[in-house]
Amino acid sequence: MALNAAHKLKKAHRYIMGLFTDEDQAAAAVQAMETSAYTLHRVHSPLPSEKLARARKKKKSMVGWFTLTGGIIGFFSGFALAAFTATRWDLVVGGKPIVALIPFFIVGFEFTILFAVFGNVIGLLTQTNLPSLKNLEYYDPRCSGFHYGLLASCEPGQEDGLKQFFTQKGAEITVFEEKG
Amino acid sequence: MTDQTTQLTFAEIDQTVLDTLKPPGKGYWLVILLLFAGVIAGAACWLHQILVGVGLAGMNNPINWGTYLINFVFWVGIAHSGTLISAILHLFRAGWRNPIARAAETMTVFAVCIAGLYPFIHLGRVWVVNYMLPLPNQRLLWPNFQSPLMFDVVAISTYLTVSSLFWYTGMLPDLAVIRDRATGLRKKIFTLLSFGWTGRLEHWRHYTRGYLFFAALATPLVISVHSVVSWDFALGIIPGWHTTIFAPYFVAGAIHSGLAMVITLMIPIRKMFKYEKIITRDVLENVAKTIILTGMIVGFAYGTEFFIAWYSHNPVEQEMFRWRAVGEYAYGFWIMVGCNVAIPMLLFFRAVRRHLGWLFVISIFVNIGMWYERFVIIVGGVAHDFMPHAWGRYTPTATEFGIMFGAFCLFFFLYVLFAKHMPSVSMTEMKETVHEGGHHGA
Repeated sequence: MALNAAHKLKKAHRYIMGLFTDEDQAAAAVQAMETSAYTLHRVHSPLPSEKLARARKKKKSMVGWFTLTGGIIGFFSGFALAAFTATRWDLVVGGKPIVALIPFFIVGFEFTILFAVFGNVIGLLTQTNLPSLKNLEYYDPRCSGFHYGLLASCEPGQEDGLKQFFTQKGAEITVFEEKG
Repeated sequence: MTDQTTQLTFAEIDQTVLDTLKPPGKGYWLVILLLFAGVIAGAACWLHQILVGVGLAGMNNPINWGTYLINFVFWVGIAHSGTLISAILHLFRAGWRNPIARAAETMTVFAVCIAGLYPFIHLGRVWVVNYMLPLPNQRLLWPNFQSPLMFDVVAISTYLTVSSLFWYTGMLPDLAVIRDRATGLRKKIFTLLSFGWTGRLEHWRHYTRGYLFFAALATPLVISVHSVVSWDFALGIIPGWHTTIFAPYFVAGAIHSGLAMVITLMIPIRKMFKYEKIITRDVLENVAKTIILTGMIVGFAYGTEFFIAWYSHNPVEQEMFRWRAVGEYAYGFWIMVGCNVAIPMLLFFRAVRRHLGWLFVISIFVNIGMWYERFVIIVGGVAHDFMPHAWGRYTPTATEFGIMFGAFCLFFFLYVLFAKHMPSVSMTEMKETVHEGGHHGA
């Protein structure tokens, strides 16, 4: 049973999407598909769904590591920038240190936030594989409205079985035409 | 969240928001034209100042910070409640923020853009703006990062970048909704803008996590930014400025003014776009209750400043605050106290805070009061410092009023353009609200 999100869509297969209006029915269909002969490729939903995430046994997102890395780089970059510029004109004024910890910490703090957000965005884009217009292949626009969409594939000749599977689970059906 | 909101279906939410994107009528374009004319007038005043010199403004010695800095602080303050509503209330899981979060975030982004213009305007010689960048000048001198003004450059740039990215990231699922229902050129534009978002489980999994981190990072940032702005003043040894209360005082004031601006914007938008079922009276009432809180905090801060002056036994500080209440600019002080503290207390009455007309009028008063607060602090501080022979007066000139008018027009111009061409309410977050209420579907 391949439930890998990065699974490449094979052109020789037939793609059918089951569209549910009920989140529980969609989650039940995801679980039932694990023991079926069909391959579930994608699950679309109009809003974040814990139930569907649980049904697909998804692990925690890795975005946070990008954010953390960005933040650490940012703090040291900000502090280093302030310290470096201060040492370019190392004239002691009023007995105060050239590399002053408290004011440079403020610069470091702002850079921490800035670079952490850059890391967050990079993490989001790389993990979600966006931007990519290829995502719009085999996609039903109703999924952004109020439908939960399950895109599944089957071997040629098994289309009726897959349609019946979705219908029994309470879904509407969208059959995608074969491409090129 | 009210029953009225949770009774909405996903389809009704989408349709209500998508209806706001229908081609506008002549009235809309007339408003756009008038606002654009105001922007041109402001830009012409600025151009005139660039050509003639910054002496066109009323700033003088000792009052060398005038309306440009007042407006800078005012707009940074306005920007703050956007992040309060979108980030801090998101972390606290306050569901009532969902209908107004997008509008408040948008206000934040545009307000920071306007605020960011003012240091350029204040410079006079705008072509030497590179002195503020971390680059060495021709004598290999770098900017001094021990200066609060440099903290400000870093903080405001960071805030603009972070709030813009936060705003756009939050909009991605809604841009996809519009793409999926659009045709022709609009579909092509929104296809590009939505980055190919399809609401896949993978998308949501990383998006929800990333959004949470955005909120967690924006929260300390928003507090730091206005603290840094306050240090522009508090780190100067000017009576009336040099006080430790400034950072929390400025942050509370910023949120106070921003919440008032949210109400000023939301009430007309609610009426024009028929958002009554989404932006309910309960939502506006919650904003009003928060204004009561922030009003009391700024009132406490005003009182504390006087207490500190009395308790310090410092005659200069005491004279400063005596003069603030009864001197030449006392009118500004009493407008500030009246509009920011006394008038918002009317919101203690439920009938007042649920009456949209009253709410709108009070929000305007708070906006005026918060502008005067910055006038009192900035101009009042340097007008009456240590040495009586150095005391001075300041009157803004027509150029300054023209630029200020242009800046307000630019803010509303950008906002009105946005509201009619992009989703002004987050459909996704509204669906989450409705979903949590147990309703969904067509």
